[in-house]
Amino acid sequence: MKFLRATKSGHVFQLKPLEQHLLLEVLSLYPLVPTTHHRLNKSGDDPQLDENQQLLEESLAEHRRENQRQVLDMLKQPQCLHETESGFELKLTRTQIEWLLQALNDVRVGSWLALGKPEADTVITPDTQQIARYHLAMDVCGMFQSMLLASLGVSESSDWIGD
Amino acid sequence: MADTEVLPAIEREKKTRAKSELETGWLVICWDDPINLMTYVTHVLQSVFGWNRQKAEHHMLEVHRQGKSVLARTTMEKAEHYVHELQKYTLHATMEREP
Repeated sequence: MKFLRATKSGHVFQLKPLEQHLLLEVLSLYPLVPTTHHRLNKSGDDPQLDENQQLLEESLAEHRRENQRQVLDMLKQPQCLHETESGFELKLTRTQIEWLLQALNDVRVGSWLALGKPEADTVITPDTQQIARYHLAMDVCGMFQSMLLASLGVSESSDWIGD
Repeated sequence: MADTEVLPAIEREKKTRAKSELETGWLVICWDDPINLMTYVTHVLQSVFGWNRQKAEHHMLEVHRQGKSVLARTTMEKAEHYVHELQKYTLHATMEREP
């Protein structure tokens, strides 16, 4: 994926056919993080928060359903995603970039959880098709996220070297 | 004449507001999930809290290097709001009672 330009109406990206296929493939996994993953409180034993925990889970589930609908509808619109001579062009408003970032990170984190929270330097052996799928999804989501963030001017700083 | 002083309504309102502003007691904490991209965490903190890049990076690096960062000290209601917003982005955030 390549960032082409930012216009008043949105950020324009160029995708190769394989990248377009991978984007739709990883988004088909969304939402992936279990609704019970998020806790209001670390220990989970604060009676004042018990009732609110259920509300939080319901609210997050509703938010993800809505985000899923928005992202899928968006990618069906030709003004958002259309084929070109060299592949595909993706045009996103700032709001649509946020929708996509949330969906991609959900799939990235969800894949990581499904793989057992491996450390960054762990070599994952794709023993099964399911492991291979999550491993690929994790990397692909990270790649798309980095490109979207770079288009917003958020890139790694030299101060982070070594981290 | 009564000994007690009756404050004008506007004064009472000011005192009430000042009291509620002091009723904080909750910390919004972001925990390290090594899977999250550093750039992504920086972006989310800027979006949710409206911070500038420098402040967002400071907290992101604290999460990355120390395992957690206290993002806000606030009321229960606001803490719930922030935690919810951060979790929409799949960041690992919780609210804890201030010790």
